[in-house]
Amino acid sequence: MCSKSLFAAILLCFFGLLSCQEKHDLPFLGPKTLNATGDTVYHQIPPFRFLNQDSTWVTEKDMEGKIYVADFFFTTCPTICPKMKTQLLRIYERYAANDVVRILSHSIDPEFDQVSVLKNYANKLHIEAPRWNLLTGDKKAIYAIGQKSYMVAAQEDSNEVGGFVHSGAFILVDKNRHVRGIYDGTKEEDVNHLIEDMEKLLGNK
Amino acid sequence: MLALGLASCDSKEEILYQQYVVEGRVLYQTHCANCHQENGSGLKDLYPAISQPALWKSLNTDELTCLIKWGRKGTKGYMPGNTKLQALDIAEIQTFLREQWGPQKAIYSLDSTRFALKKCETTL
Repeated sequence: MCSKSLFAAILLCFFGLLSCQEKHDLPFLGPKTLNATGDTVYHQIPPFRFLNQDSTWVTEKDMEGKIYVADFFFTTCPTICPKMKTQLLRIYERYAANDVVRILSHSIDPEFDQVSVLKNYANKLHIEAPRWNLLTGDKKAIYAIGQKSYMVAAQEDSNEVGGFVHSGAFILVDKNRHVRGIYDGTKEEDVNHLIEDMEKLLGNK
Repeated sequence: MLALGLASCDSKEEILYQQYVVEGRVLYQTHCANCHQENGSGLKDLYPAISQPALWKSLNTDELTCLIKWGRKGTKGYMPGNTKLQALDIAEIQTFLREQWGPQKAIYSLDSTRFALKKCETTL
C-alpha cells in the first residue's frame, strides 16, 4: 500500500517535471540552419514593409523589442475571419496597456483592402494602430511572407466562399522575430493557449 | 369531429413552425453566426447586432430576404450574399430570426420567400 502510493508520487513527480519543462520553453518553429561556426540559427521573419490603416509604413524595425501575433484575413471574408477577429479582440483588449504587444493582420486581398477600406474596418472594430496594424501592400510580398515565413496557407481560390483560401492561424513571434507558436485563431481554447504562451514570452510566468 | 380536425390542423402548422425554427437555427449557425454571432449580438460596429429591435423596424421582411440572398454593397456596410441558399433555406432562417428576435413569432412562408426573391431578381 505504502510502496504503491510512493510509486504513484514518484510517477507524479516525473510527469510534473516533464510538463514543467514543456511549459517553460516555447519551441522555435520553422527550419533551423547552422552558421559557419556551427551554431544553430533559428528561422526568422525577414524584413518587411507594409502599409497600415493610417497609411503609415510598418516594418520589422517597428517590431523591435515587441512580441506580436500575426494573422491573415480580408475585410469581406464571410467565413472564418469574423471568428478570428473576435479572438484577436480578446488579445487586443487584454494587452490594452502593454506597449510590448502588437498585432499584425495582413490582408490577402490587398487590391480591394486599400488603406481607406482598412481604416473603415478598424474604426468599426474600434481598434487603433500601432497596437493593432491592419496591413496591405504588394500581394506577392504578402503571400510570400505568409507561406514562407509565417508558414500558413494563403492564396486565391475562386471555388472558396469569398474567393480566397487561407488558414485561421495566429502566429506568435518573439522579440527576435522567431516564430514561437502557431494556434487556431477560430477556437477560443487554442487562443487561451496563445495567451498563456504570450505571458511566458513577456516573462510573466 | 370538426373540432378534432381543426385541432390536428393547428398542430400541423405548429409542427411545421417548429421544424422551420429548428432547421433555421442550424442554417443560421452555418451561414450567419460567424459574423452576427450565435446570440445575434454582432461584433462592435463591424457586424450589426440582429437582436436589436431598431434593425427590425428599419427592414421589411422582403428586403431581409433579398439581403440574405444577395448581400449588400455600398456605404451602409458590406454584407456578402448567400447565393447558394434556396427559398426554403431562407424561409427557415427568417422564421428562426423572428422566433429569436423579431416582433412576430410566426412562420415566414415559403411562398412569401419565393415572392420576395422574384421581386429582387427583377430589380437587380
